[in-house]
Amino acid sequence: MFETLKVFLRNKKALIGLIIVLLYVAVAIFGPMLLNLDPMQRVGRPHQPPNADELLGTTRMGRDVFAQLIYGTRTSLAVGFFAGIIIVLIGTVLGIAAGYFGGWIDEVISFFTNVVLVIPQLPLLLVIAAFMGQTNPAVIAIIIGMTSWAWGARVTRSQTLTLRNREYILASELIGERPTRMIFVELLPNLLSIIGFNFIGSVTYTIITQATLEFLGLGNPMSVSWGTMLYHAQNASAISVGAWWEVLVPALAVAGIGVGLSLLNFGVDEISNPRLRTLGTVAAAIKAQKKLDQQRLAEVKP
Amino acid sequence: MNFVIRRIAFYLVAFLVAATINFALPRLMPGNPIDVMFAQQNSTLTPEARDALVATFGFASGPLHLQFLDYMKSVFTGDLGYSIRFYPQKVNQVLAYALPWTLLLAGTATLMAFCVGSIIGTFAAWRRGGMLDAVVTPVSLALQATPAVVIALTALFIFGVALKWLPTGYAFAPALDPAWSWEFFGSVALHGLMPICSLMVVFVGGYLVTMRNNMIGQLGEDHVTMGLAKGLSDRRVQLNYAARNALLPSVTSLGLTLGAILGGSLVTEVVFNYPGLGQTLYIGIVTRDYPLIQGQLLIMTFATLLANLAVDLLYVFFDPRLRKA
Repeated sequence: MFETLKVFLRNKKALIGLIIVLLYVAVAIFGPMLLNLDPMQRVGRPHQPPNADELLGTTRMGRDVFAQLIYGTRTSLAVGFFAGIIIVLIGTVLGIAAGYFGGWIDEVISFFTNVVLVIPQLPLLLVIAAFMGQTNPAVIAIIIGMTSWAWGARVTRSQTLTLRNREYILASELIGERPTRMIFVELLPNLLSIIGFNFIGSVTYTIITQATLEFLGLGNPMSVSWGTMLYHAQNASAISVGAWWEVLVPALAVAGIGVGLSLLNFGVDEISNPRLRTLGTVAAAIKAQKKLDQQRLAEVKP
Repeated sequence: MNFVIRRIAFYLVAFLVAATINFALPRLMPGNPIDVMFAQQNSTLTPEARDALVATFGFASGPLHLQFLDYMKSVFTGDLGYSIRFYPQKVNQVLAYALPWTLLLAGTATLMAFCVGSIIGTFAAWRRGGMLDAVVTPVSLALQATPAVVIALTALFIFGVALKWLPTGYAFAPALDPAWSWEFFGSVALHGLMPICSLMVVFVGGYLVTMRNNMIGQLGEDHVTMGLAKGLSDRRVQLNYAARNALLPSVTSLGLTLGAILGGSLVTEVVFNYPGLGQTLYIGIVTRDYPLIQGQLLIMTFATLLANLAVDLLYVFFDPRLRKA
């Protein structure tokens, strides 16, 4: 366990990604406690540029952008993690069921997964959200979770299929292990990296999608999140009147967590597939070799 | 040929599923969608007027299976009912005006993103760890994780408002009439530049990373070593031996991302006030124009499935094994 962690932290991309994500999580958990300011409260005149009192300026409604950012981080991350858990649960259960049991169960699940995969996600989400009326963040998380599991199910299935044909699975089948034990003890631990990959990807996707849905006016405008901040900014024509802080602050917040999570994911990918590494170690080795060659040359010459 | 026929059958079923979701959604929701819809329009509606509107908008009463048959008939005859916001226009007419703009936007951006991403990815993988790879790969990772809204808003702010280089809205200058003239095309190109480029920037990273990773996988294969051992030029091995095979998974991912691109295009259109499907959908959402919203889902599903079919044909072209099967 400790060894894995060390390998993980030695990867620069994974480390930077982890630091960014932990920073966001810390802000989401502790930020609102430390700040102690109602994000919906009017604190000053509308569209004040960043100053000493309002660190990131005010919105059209005279609300503090910094306070909205901190509270918005909490909402957006919560929605991301909640939906991520739903997506991973559905995807993993369906993927393992299809890959392990095979036969008609696999046929049905795979077909269903492929159908969901080709129906365009965002328009579908928009239609569902539009019929639900103005949706709270929790409802958005559930909608996204229920519609976005297909990719994870597909990847988990194909990984389960390759594991299924390994000899150790065959051996435990011959011993007569029950399916539950096979799945939880033999398969699941070997699927953990895929599941983690799926989870990180899903959280990224959910955060982006939530911001998009709310930006389009399908969220609850009374809730505070990055998406509703963008929605209010757009409604107030913040860009045209030059109130860049009202738009750029939530925009950068979304972009930042996206970058952090995907660096984390890419780092995990590199660790599990050494070929993908940008060869920092190999470059170092080549350098060392050259140095050694030069030394030897120098020794031979005289 | 068998492969293509199977795919067409699959897409047909997928379309039926989407249509069924569309049919079921308003009927599953709590409350009556008709009342919600008309409540938004005007509150003083006599029962007779309401019934008349219900009949016009095609919310049939009667047993569910008959409603379903009616609905499917209207879907396959291409009759999507009347729009509420743009009444007395039909949904078809509203969408038919918007669709070409979205196709222009999403099509050009996809093509550019796929080509640019794949080409740079090929070179980044060939010299992995080199300058190009070290800069391009992390940047594309960052872009890939940035939502379309953010990139579109930032581009709008920098190039449209701060620098005033490019127009901030519409598909062509409002003073012009659509005509086959250079002036008109120039205006369309100028107005399309920013939305297309910002949409491209969102998706180029994904193709780049996919191509790079596939390519690296290919470079370890025996046939690449063999090509090098035969004394072929580097370029030949890189493009004809490695890249051609590495493209296959890229093409698959192209098919899978088409839906996402359409989604990105929706948002981009709203930001740039571009008169495509996204802008229409946005108006539909704001005014709760349910027939319009539902028509959107159908036409977008249809477009995505059609594009997926095109990708499958492309796949047959790239992978000769499928031609025989």
